[in-house]
Amino acid sequence: MKKIVTLLLSAGLVASASTAVSGPKEDLEKFRAYFEQKFPGIPLDEFGNGVYAIDANKRLQWEAMEEFPPYDDYVDKGREIWEKPFKNGKRFADCFGDDPSKVRPKYPHWDSENQRVVTLELAINECLEKNGEKPFKWKTGPIAWLSGYLGYEARGQKINVVVPEDDPKALEAYEAGRHFYYAKRGQLNLACADCHVKYAGHFIRGQLLGPALGQTTHFPVFRAKWAKKSKTGDGMGTLHRRYGGCNKQVRARPFPAQSEQYRNLEYFHQYMSNGLAINAPGYRE
Amino acid sequence: MKKTFATIGLALLVAGCNATTPETAMTPKAQYEAALARTQEWVDKAASVDGEWRDIRWKKSKKKYLPKAIEAAKAGDYEKALKLLSIAEFQARMGYEQAMAEKDAGPHLYGL
Repeated sequence: MKKIVTLLLSAGLVASASTAVSGPKEDLEKFRAYFEQKFPGIPLDEFGNGVYAIDANKRLQWEAMEEFPPYDDYVDKGREIWEKPFKNGKRFADCFGDDPSKVRPKYPHWDSENQRVVTLELAINECLEKNGEKPFKWKTGPIAWLSGYLGYEARGQKINVVVPEDDPKALEAYEAGRHFYYAKRGQLNLACADCHVKYAGHFIRGQLLGPALGQTTHFPVFRAKWAKKSKTGDGMGTLHRRYGGCNKQVRARPFPAQSEQYRNLEYFHQYMSNGLAINAPGYRE
Repeated sequence: MKKTFATIGLALLVAGCNATTPETAMTPKAQYEAALARTQEWVDKAASVDGEWRDIRWKKSKKKYLPKAIEAAKAGDYEKALKLLSIAEFQARMGYEQAMAEKDAGPHLYGL
């Protein structure tokens, strides 16, 4: 009798676990299906354009802006940084390879040796340090310009984040990022997913909430709001700058850029845009 | 006789109040110190589960309830300090409880 009860309980546990837990591939399938159903008729790659894919008026304004994109100067600055040799004579190409168009699609990735998620910005600063240079500030300025240049060079290539199946720590990092995205936080008790999954396409005050699908393809971005705040009009900022801003808006204490929390979040978040074309840097309000 | 009863009654009332609410007998400084220790404990708990809210002590917050309470106490304004600490403690406790309640958050909650 005891054995039967144990067997039944185990079977029940396995059954409930399999319904509650899903892996990255299943997550992605369901994620895409959800947005395709929520916004029927929008081609997959269009989701990389965020709210401009779902609102005709905003799209017109955005297309006008893209005729003379405000991020162009910063892409040029990023190119200069890429080409400028370090004091030791080496260059970024010595860390990343000669072809700048091949860099962005490799990030973020799982670093199995150090058991951590490596983002493009983290790799940029580690390259600087390795070559005896002072690292950039994490969220704005040269790091965003260089990252923007590398994004620009990689335009059209597909995001392809891999969660290695043979490394449980990689899956743990992905799951931590997923949990972050769906967990409510802050005084306003809002999860990333509340705004960008459940209420995507709705307005929050005057702002249209963009869908989570394709949300990372255009980072780093030039935001008009950031340009207004900057003394020089530089509106460029990294994905982690945006994460911090979102957390602040829901009145949660933001985590530092490139913290483990945000790198894991980026791992999940970018994975959810797998298969979509990189279109960085983007312009956003 | 009436006066004696009234005096005894008043004495009992005062004694009773003292016995049931010891904190009111504490000096403002002692009340502040107790509240500060309690608040810091909740803040540490909230931070340990990544559940801390923005306005408790984050350097860029305009409110910064906890550091401002400490500042007020340094200036001798314990009433203000206690008021700010009560907000900080509440927010830290809520942040911790929120993080605990969201422990199993995931796509399944959004129909995914």
